[in-house]
Amino acid sequence: MSIPIRVVTEEAALEQEVRRHISVTTWGGLLRMAEQVYNWGRRSSIWPLQFGLACCAIEMIATAASRFDIARFGAELFRASPRQADLMIVSGTVTKKMVPMIVRLYNQMPEPKYVISMGACATAGGPFKEGYNVVSGIDKFLPVDVYIPGCPPTPQALLHGLMTLQKIIDGQEISKVRWYQKNSQTLENEIPVPLLGPDLIDQRRIPEIQKTLREAGGQSLAGTVPALPATIPSFQATPTEGRRELIARLRQQFGQDAVEPQGDALLLAPAVALTVARYLKEQPDLGYDYLANLTSADYQDCFEVVSHVVSTARSEKPLTLKVRTPKDNPRVPSLTPVWPGANFQERECYDMMGIHFEGHPNLRRILMWDGFEGWPLRKNYLEPYYEEPGKMFSSRWKEGHHRRAEGRVFWRDNVKYPASWDASQKTFDDEAAPPVDNEGVSLQQNGDFLVVNLGPQHPSTHGVFRMKVAVQGERIVGLEPIMGYMHRNHEKIGERNTYIMNFPYTDRLDYLTSMGNNFGYAIAVEKLTGVPVPERADYIRIIMAEYTRILSHFWATGFLLNDLGAFFTPALYAIEERELILDLFEMVSGSRMMCNYFRFGGVAADLTEEFMTLSKGLIEERLPRSIDQIDRFLSRNEILTSRCKGVGALTREQAIAMSASGPVLRASGVSYDVRRAQPYSLYERFPFEIPTRTTGDVYARYQIRIDEMRESLRILRQAFKELPAGEIQGGKKAWNVRVPAGESYGRVENPKGELGFYIVGDGTDHPYRYHVRSPSFINLTALETMCRGHLVADVVAILGSIDIVLGEVDR
Amino acid sequence: MQLYGVELLRGLGITFSHFVRTYVKGVGRKFAQGNVRQLPTQDGIFTVPYPEEKLAVPERLRVLPFLIYNGNTGQPATEESIRCTACGICAKVCPPQCIWIVQAKDAVAGKPKPKPAEFTIDMDVCMNCGFCSEYCPFDAIKMGHDFELSNSERDKSHIFEMDRLLVPTENYAKTHPGAWAEEEAKRQAAAAKKAATAAAAAAAAKPAPGTPP
Repeated sequence: MSIPIRVVTEEAALEQEVRRHISVTTWGGLLRMAEQVYNWGRRSSIWPLQFGLACCAIEMIATAASRFDIARFGAELFRASPRQADLMIVSGTVTKKMVPMIVRLYNQMPEPKYVISMGACATAGGPFKEGYNVVSGIDKFLPVDVYIPGCPPTPQALLHGLMTLQKIIDGQEISKVRWYQKNSQTLENEIPVPLLGPDLIDQRRIPEIQKTLREAGGQSLAGTVPALPATIPSFQATPTEGRRELIARLRQQFGQDAVEPQGDALLLAPAVALTVARYLKEQPDLGYDYLANLTSADYQDCFEVVSHVVSTARSEKPLTLKVRTPKDNPRVPSLTPVWPGANFQERECYDMMGIHFEGHPNLRRILMWDGFEGWPLRKNYLEPYYEEPGKMFSSRWKEGHHRRAEGRVFWRDNVKYPASWDASQKTFDDEAAPPVDNEGVSLQQNGDFLVVNLGPQHPSTHGVFRMKVAVQGERIVGLEPIMGYMHRNHEKIGERNTYIMNFPYTDRLDYLTSMGNNFGYAIAVEKLTGVPVPERADYIRIIMAEYTRILSHFWATGFLLNDLGAFFTPALYAIEERELILDLFEMVSGSRMMCNYFRFGGVAADLTEEFMTLSKGLIEERLPRSIDQIDRFLSRNEILTSRCKGVGALTREQAIAMSASGPVLRASGVSYDVRRAQPYSLYERFPFEIPTRTTGDVYARYQIRIDEMRESLRILRQAFKELPAGEIQGGKKAWNVRVPAGESYGRVENPKGELGFYIVGDGTDHPYRYHVRSPSFINLTALETMCRGHLVADVVAILGSIDIVLGEVDR
Repeated sequence: MQLYGVELLRGLGITFSHFVRTYVKGVGRKFAQGNVRQLPTQDGIFTVPYPEEKLAVPERLRVLPFLIYNGNTGQPATEESIRCTACGICAKVCPPQCIWIVQAKDAVAGKPKPKPAEFTIDMDVCMNCGFCSEYCPFDAIKMGHDFELSNSERDKSHIFEMDRLLVPTENYAKTHPGAWAEEEAKRQAAAAKKAATAAAAAAAAKPAPGTPP
């Protein structure tokens, strides 16, 4: 056996000894070591900006909650101020109206700062790319570090994105990072904030735009105006049986020409529309006191304003009223004097179709900004990315060579400018102006008050919603809700989609309650097609809708407490329950949030074994227990009661007049629930209470939600007990459905209130008109009334108690 | 008369009990092997520590679509093995119109073939709705489960061409066992039926013995 002998010279031995006892390194090595500590420190304490845009923001909140727990990555400190944040998670659709705020927020963040683009919309416009108010990717304005594909990416995908960012930080070198560079351009030059002119204006492109406009004198549009159908789809001139008597009575009262029958609807002469409306409301036996929906449609030779009215005292289908107006000068009388709830809806019609409502106190744009060029929902309005009048687009198949929309259009971006535009024109800026109330009265700067803008970037506006408030001391003297920061052009896109394509888009309206939205749309279209729904499918639909109600109310309750200052603890408990329900949705439909589960005549897939066993545990034990716990935890809590009782009260009369719906209406003492008033699906088989309160304040709305969760559980228990076997799809499953000509208004009781879909079919596979009656949007009509006289802190609680979701407010 | 503070203490008690249960149930907890399915009886610690643990993936989960070819893992796709026939239904039913298909042509005669020459999905437009997979008559496009897709570049990497979309049936059978079994059963039944009809047709075509031609 031999021992290896190593010959070591004296110098080498000496050096080895020195190396062993004294740390010797180069400057580079030292820097690398410092770098590791520096990068480790930064990667483990990323503070994201508390900033959410759309559906993805809900998944971002879920990531921060206990199940995914972003705190494990040191990134739980969501900062409400950009000055303390170093990560901006652009979570959702970037709209043109919102992008100036986003750039401003980014400019306010100190270096080092990072941007994660979460989801398809933030990355490139996503499914809403073709919309006229959507920016084709935040990277057009901000430098993005990490993209997360998905629609929406799940919380785990967001965590994966965060880990990707951490890896990027790990690889950074102190000597090269931009914030330590001398004379760094990026540090000194802020990104110029885009302007809102006739369209979105990137300040960096102004010289180019001006030069092009001067030389070309305008732009060529990519497409031609689609031909409108030859006739107005006025499908029946004879009245239906139920309306005959009413028409005779109205004709006797107001003259033969006042009312024309149109199937189930009444076509009113514009001159008498307002008096007829008042008569319908004030006659005790008619009593149409509640305006459910108001919208308009663009036909060949007229605009038609359609409204659906009901009586809260009776259970019946809505009465449809129509008024027509010529296209060259569209003017109709405003219904706001009779039904103040028409206020926002008429503004929306004006904004989208340019119809003037005479007598409206405050007729201004509501979703787009003042100064925007065009009336988007008119049939002759073409978006910059317009391709063809209806889907599918012929460029996709057979010779479908991929080409981005940007590469196809004139400005290489989702914008268009009128030929007359020049850079000196005023752009939209309303921050300093005093708020204007619903009656159109502007608070002039003569009193002693201060204008404060809450939002659109604000932790408690539940999304990109803005309230401009005038305060005297701490008291609110005026409030103006400003929306449209998430206007994603659902209706315009929906009229180009085939009927079935709208299902996944309805998921993205109120993204907390996608199953409920599916339900409403399915019902509206099924009214036209008449396809039967098998019993099992109806039960499954009700199960999903009631689960949705529970999860939405859990969320609303948790976040109401958040708004009251009980930061995140009640919300965490609520989100846990929601997560367990989302698991069920994911199991059955394939997605946590964007379920896309309903089909015309049924549902997409059957329930699974696992769904049944987990459901049993949930509805028998877990959910009743956790509802009781939330109730015990909160309902009698002194802080909650003193912050909520008597705050934001809405009387019964006000709630009805302002077309409030859902918990807001029922908290004011109106026992009105669409599931009872106009039962759809199989709700007639289910005995349940309609909880009501009489005080109409924040506390009452909170209590209604707790009670409704219990009632939903009751419905769920019965539904699971009676769930029959059988088919889940009535009629033939088809990828394209031709829907007969006609119009329908389908409505369901969604957790937020009455969700309605007004659809006009022209006999093709595309809806001619597709309108969403959104409860969140219309409930905001009463916001000003509720808030006036209260404190600033109460505004946040009141807004939380209405429970809005911006995807549905702005659509 | 309400005694101020009692309910506050009760609330704090609930919070505290959550806090304690989290620790009691969490002590000595090891990372779960495989994917985690949280049950309604779940109590105490609720966190699923991604990436060490992952939530259970339901078979129907839809993230991004992929194309299927008949073959085993590692085997390259050939034109014959690709199930897609370029019928275009997925592109037609796609709500945001993110699927682009070029139909293949015969190299010699230039006649269209029922195969895709190019198949592109723009993942920045895709809304993960699953219609393409639901309405594909050939089980050729399915929804994948892989959500770990974040990266720092979008211009090239988010446009999925055929090379990135194609997945062999062996992998598909592993990730979607239920759907795979169902589809295979259907295919076998169809093949058996076809064989039976063919046999019957052959029997009918053959003149029965004894009859004059």
